[in-house]
Amino acid sequence: MTLSACSKLRESHLATKPIACSLDELRGLDLGSTAVWGTPSRVDTVLKHLDGVCIDMLEEARNSFDTLIVVGGGTRIDAAKMWRAERRPDLRLVAIPSVWGSGAEASNIVVQNAKDKKEIRIGDQYLPDIRCVVLDLLDSLPEESARFACGDAWSHALEGFLSPLADDSLRRELSDLMRAMSELPLGKHPDWFELSARACQGQAKSSVGLVHGIAHTLERPLQIGQPGYGWGHARLCALFLYPVARFNRQASDVFETLLAEYELDPDLLMNKMHDLFSIRDYDLVLKPLEKHWAQVMRDPCTRTNSALVRPQSLAFFIDRALP
Amino acid sequence: MSNHEQLRQLILDILLLGPEEYSLELCRDQVETWDSLSVVSIAVGLNETFGYHPTPSEATAIHCVNDVISLLEAKGISFGD
Repeated sequence: MTLSACSKLRESHLATKPIACSLDELRGLDLGSTAVWGTPSRVDTVLKHLDGVCIDMLEEARNSFDTLIVVGGGTRIDAAKMWRAERRPDLRLVAIPSVWGSGAEASNIVVQNAKDKKEIRIGDQYLPDIRCVVLDLLDSLPEESARFACGDAWSHALEGFLSPLADDSLRRELSDLMRAMSELPLGKHPDWFELSARACQGQAKSSVGLVHGIAHTLERPLQIGQPGYGWGHARLCALFLYPVARFNRQASDVFETLLAEYELDPDLLMNKMHDLFSIRDYDLVLKPLEKHWAQVMRDPCTRTNSALVRPQSLAFFIDRALP
Repeated sequence: MSNHEQLRQLILDILLLGPEEYSLELCRDQVETWDSLSVVSIAVGLNETFGYHPTPSEATAIHCVNDVISLLEAKGISFGD
């Protein structure tokens, strides 16, 4: 899929926040006094293209600046969305993602780390005003992170599509999106930014499912219990897409029925999921999955999975998730 | 397994209840875990177990286990077992 095709895909969303701007379009806007928040190297990259002042902490924008540009991944963008909504709702917020996947730059959802779980808040007050892509940021993106980010984007699109809360219009939109995504490599490609943002906006209209329920539950325990392995949300989403897709297929006919109805090739999708799967990583997470299964079941995302997740469903992931 | 048994197991699994907490009179306002997400889960579970997917209005009109039985019986699924 070309960038121009991506532009066509986003046309239907131009009237809604956040406005998707090219870097040239953003440069042409009068943003007033502008603060830029992100890691130093990313801020430096952005400041090569845009005027602004680097800030180290969001509070530095408490009493000044007309615009806040946040550059980073989903966690940092969500932090800026939350801070702006609570402390400076009059501040213009521009979100520049350093990687695709979370779609935080395009959604009205913020995910925050609470004591022992993820807290999800939803509201239009969290929507950035503008989202923009700075392609130079891709230069420093590790290949592995790019791959995991593809898994995150795929999990938004597929789980949003399969969600029992999705309607026909959304499923049509997300099935078109998945066809476009299936043409991209599972790695660095600029079109992922736009398609990932659309996937996130789509799932926000329905829900996600068990992949996210597992990722939200296991992220913190894995980071504590297996430090140094680099566990994060996107990596867990990439890992569990395939086993959860297999679970959904065997538990219910919804998966097959919906894919057929919207003319998606199940084998093509399963191959993509399998390409994102890692048996080494799966072996590392099985015991934590077993330990935290009760919490997985209670996660709100799990409870809107396309197939019902029961206490005994754990056995599938232990014994039968792989062919 | 009878339809009654299948429904009982479904409700226990979704609402995360112990067997002693189940009854046909069990209602939403008696069970903390019977929230809006459980309504979604019950709809999904009924489709998987009995092959009938309640409409959104049917699903939200379910307030107790007996309502589920009434709904399914109206769709030709017998609980006379």
